[in-house]
Amino acid sequence: MTVEVKHEAQRGRITLTGDGAATDPVADLTALCRSIAELARTTTRPPSRIRLEHLGTAVEVEWPVGEQQVVTAAPPAADEPLDEGTARHVRAPMVGTFYRSPEPGAPPFVSVGDTVAVGQPIGILEVMKMMSPVEADTAGRVVEILAEDGTPVEFQQRLIAVEPA
Amino acid sequence: MFSTVLIANRGEIALRIARTCREMGIRTVALYSTADRDSAVVRFADRAVHLGPAAARLSYLHIPSIVEAAKLTGAEAVHPGYGFLSEDPDFAEICEANGLTFIGPPPRVMEQLGDKAVARRLMGEAGLPVLPGSAGAVRSPAEARATAARVGYPVILKAVAGGGGRGMAVVRDDADLAGAYQETRAHARAVFGDERLYLERYVDGARHIEVQVLCDSHGNAVHLAERDCSVQRRHQKLIEESPAPNLPDPLRREICAAAVRGALAVGYVGAATFEFVLAPDASFYLMEVNCRLQVEHPVTEMVTGIDLVREQLTIAAGEPLTLRQDAVRPRGAAVEARVNAEDPDRGFLPTPGLLTEFVPPGGPFVRVDTHAYPGWLIGPDYDSLLAKTVAWAPDREQAIARLDRALGEFRIDGPTVRTTTGYLRRTLADPRFRAGRHTTGLVAEMAAEEAAAH
Repeated sequence: MTVEVKHEAQRGRITLTGDGAATDPVADLTALCRSIAELARTTTRPPSRIRLEHLGTAVEVEWPVGEQQVVTAAPPAADEPLDEGTARHVRAPMVGTFYRSPEPGAPPFVSVGDTVAVGQPIGILEVMKMMSPVEADTAGRVVEILAEDGTPVEFQQRLIAVEPA
Repeated sequence: MFSTVLIANRGEIALRIARTCREMGIRTVALYSTADRDSAVVRFADRAVHLGPAAARLSYLHIPSIVEAAKLTGAEAVHPGYGFLSEDPDFAEICEANGLTFIGPPPRVMEQLGDKAVARRLMGEAGLPVLPGSAGAVRSPAEARATAARVGYPVILKAVAGGGGRGMAVVRDDADLAGAYQETRAHARAVFGDERLYLERYVDGARHIEVQVLCDSHGNAVHLAERDCSVQRRHQKLIEESPAPNLPDPLRREICAAAVRGALAVGYVGAATFEFVLAPDASFYLMEVNCRLQVEHPVTEMVTGIDLVREQLTIAAGEPLTLRQDAVRPRGAAVEARVNAEDPDRGFLPTPGLLTEFVPPGGPFVRVDTHAYPGWLIGPDYDSLLAKTVAWAPDREQAIARLDRALGEFRIDGPTVRTTTGYLRRTLADPRFRAGRHTTGLVAEMAAEEAAAH
């Protein structure tokens, strides 16, 4: 069976449709659930609504907009909502040490108020003594610097906030 | 002793390691992938670091991220658990190079024992019995056939870099050897990135007996008796127990002494498991050495009262063993069953999904090692182990009855989740298992009988 996955980022909605004859209902359902789990993990925004229909039975789950499910005693930084208001965040691609400047004493790659383009370096991540640039994946104006120079960051930790152009 | 230990693993074993650390007053750092952000160990640990995405190669297998996480949290030591990087000598070496203590054997020893062909040779030189087979890797189907002709059929082809019961094939006939060689080699290349195979005699009707060994960095070694792991499906263990049933004491002593001798011969440090094949004629042969904590370590803990993770930590911290061989006195019997999120009716297919209900058993002398809880999403990314269930009793019969009772108590539910509890209970009820007369062929025999009955 194939599972078609649609994620409408604008509306934060996920639609899953399974096709094919239900020769193996459990396998179909397993595939569906796997896709949902996969989606929930890979989507860039938390889902607001999930609807699952299988052999005439439908389950629909809707989250009120803005509600966050906090399950950890001390939620790590990376578990914060992806977006607050209209700002987007450039996030750490790996665990490492974040530097805002190309070298000590040099001016930072970006500061609040600067305009960034997609692909523009906004900092450097040091991982095992290897330096690699961190690039903006969204274009706009820098509204906040969230990770200080020389600080350790986790995977997906927010580094800077960008107001889309 | 270390003040902070980073646990480079996930699931039940990460939680199990963290628990001992907590008891010892050691700060714990958990690592988690995006898929594991709600995992039990993340809540339990003193600190948790988001390591990477769900794909293991970018998270739990990603050495630079793990080392960076250790540095940013001030961890002094890394416990690798089992699986993932636990037997990767490069990882052990990189940890040491970055000033982190790797909780396991020296990288060089791990490398030697990780190459199953080298391990066979070294152990043979140390006087341990090894099965007749190839001296090293067999490099062609022709060489495999020549070796098989020399040692006699049946034979087993194994990946040099193998482990976890994968990358092996039993061949009973010369006509099948070339095909099996190509197939196993392709599998080994895909799974382990190393296509080398070695070949040895295969023993029918054998039992799997393994010995738990502990060695400190001062040349002391003790064994913590044996485990019988003969209940296997496709070389994957399902039920493990200690002591091994119907094992005469002189033979038990001989096997355990051989394991200690092998460990000392290679300068082992840490916890190791020496896996042996016990043939029907009571001859035994070393199969391989595992350089890590084993999944089934709780049965040893239950009969000896010794916390193996605690021992691993004290050894890694450079302290001498406080255990003396004559003070290790196993009591009673312990049996463990691995409850997996798999569907036995559909070829043990993993069944990921949401756990809507999860109530583990309790009661006297029952231990459940699990990371599961109601609301936990069993993801499709990692293995399907859900809960190791261990029962102890003064004798084997009572331990089996207790384990059966415990397995029956589980309440596990989810729209897509199936488990192996029913299957495990049927296995416990099998007369061959009950009598302790089963071999590694038990699961296949049961399947054949079930098929014949329908």
